[in-house]
Amino acid sequence: MKKKFIPQNIISVLCGIASIFAFVIFWFIYTNGSTLGKMIPRPDVVIISLFKDIFNPIGQHTLLIHVCYSMYRVLVGYVIGSIVGIILGLAMGWSKVVEAIFSPLFRIIRPIPPIAWIPISIIWLGLGENAKIFLIFLASFSNVTLNAWTGAKNVDPKLIGASQMLGARKSQIFFTIVLPASIPQIFAGLQVALSSCWGTILAAEMVRSSEGLGWIIVTGGNNNDMKQILVGIVTIGIVGFILAVIMRKLEAVLCRWNKSGT
Amino acid sequence: MSVEQERNLIKCTHVYKSFQTPTGEHPVVNDFNLQAKENEFLVLFGPGQCGKTTLINLIAGLDNATSGAIEINGNKVKGPSPERGVVFQDISLFPWLTTMGNVEYGPKMAGMSKKSRREKAHHYINLVGLQGFENSFPSQLSGGMKQRVGIARAYCIEPRVMLMDEPFGALDAQTRYLMQEELQRIWQAEKRTIVFVTNNIEEALYLADRIIVLSNCPATVKKEYVIDLPRPRKYVSPEFLSLRKEITSIINKYVVSEAENE
Repeated sequence: MKKKFIPQNIISVLCGIASIFAFVIFWFIYTNGSTLGKMIPRPDVVIISLFKDIFNPIGQHTLLIHVCYSMYRVLVGYVIGSIVGIILGLAMGWSKVVEAIFSPLFRIIRPIPPIAWIPISIIWLGLGENAKIFLIFLASFSNVTLNAWTGAKNVDPKLIGASQMLGARKSQIFFTIVLPASIPQIFAGLQVALSSCWGTILAAEMVRSSEGLGWIIVTGGNNNDMKQILVGIVTIGIVGFILAVIMRKLEAVLCRWNKSGT
Repeated sequence: MSVEQERNLIKCTHVYKSFQTPTGEHPVVNDFNLQAKENEFLVLFGPGQCGKTTLINLIAGLDNATSGAIEINGNKVKGPSPERGVVFQDISLFPWLTTMGNVEYGPKMAGMSKKSRREKAHHYINLVGLQGFENSFPSQLSGGMKQRVGIARAYCIEPRVMLMDEPFGALDAQTRYLMQEELQRIWQAEKRTIVFVTNNIEEALYLADRIIVLSNCPATVKKEYVIDLPRPRKYVSPEFLSLRKEITSIINKYVVSEAENE
């Protein structure tokens, strides 16, 4: 069965490469020697300066160090926010009491976009890393909580009945039925949360920071340096893409049962 | 031993169950009385929506009777318990567990060591003829194979009573015959008290020691037949066919008179 899928995979990978290539060619044609080219640098110029920036510092750090700063902030906030979110969400889905206590508060906090907290986070936590990690925490927390909550709440009651008939006690039902049954839903939340975190960190770095990808874009704008802005944007895209691929692979491993027949 | 065999393992006396609906109280089971002996194969036979699943849920302890008493081995049924195994109509396998994981679930919950529960699970997987599929997920199995896993899973907790709620209802005709033969073989290999619900008279005659005919909603006992054809039975033997003809004509009479009364 596996062999049959390989040609299709190759075709879709080739299509993906072709479409990116076509986009770059259009970009090249329209910016090469035209008036538009005076405002937007050619793709080859951007790509070359992207590679140069890996060794030459932008501001105080090279590009990779900037990426590491942004990633570090995202990962710390994301991991803490996701763990808290999974625990709170599952508890809300499992226990009516926990749900009654936390759901009104959660429903009010959830629609507030994380960037709305930027001023407060700076006042509370200062200009350092803590404020940014706090924002990322909020960005991941609300998405993950919501998904873990609905996941745990919508577990098929027949599966719970089946496990009771097989002798499972209440805590066993939670760990052997509710938790695994919620994992696909939790993963969907983790994926949305990761892209939300990635967006939030850029906004936070653009507001107040001296390093990171958001800072690259903002200083590029301040210095009217289109090349630097585009290097920042392309890097954001590439890193976001890589993160999404990692999450999908992780999901494929953890939820391999969640597929209709092979 | 003979005393043990003669004792009534399941005893339902004046069981009554109703559901509250917007139009008022809706009785589903009315004055239901039943006795089942140790190792007896009892078939509850009745038309479509006559409260058979409710009866199974009541005996299983997944639902409570409005009034009346259900006793298993002299103990009142208070909730689900591994002394009663259930094979559900829609199987309700745990989709994130393999065949082995599903079958060994009950012993695992009871805290049995890995080695002995694996041994036990292997025994029942072999009994239902699924050797070689231990590591398949339910989504990779056919309908008949899933139902085999369901039977092995219920058998693996070694219950005194097996409750089967139209387990073959969703299977195609060929697989259904095959599964009936398989169930008869399994039951003869490892005797249990089985309460089997069906709306198929052929299935009832093939499997039952005793057939209880139920009236349509609310379910109550209409008639009882002791089937003493030698096993393994044949669907086309003259005795089987004449018994089938006899019971079908009597049941039809009931259905007709019931329809006239309405």
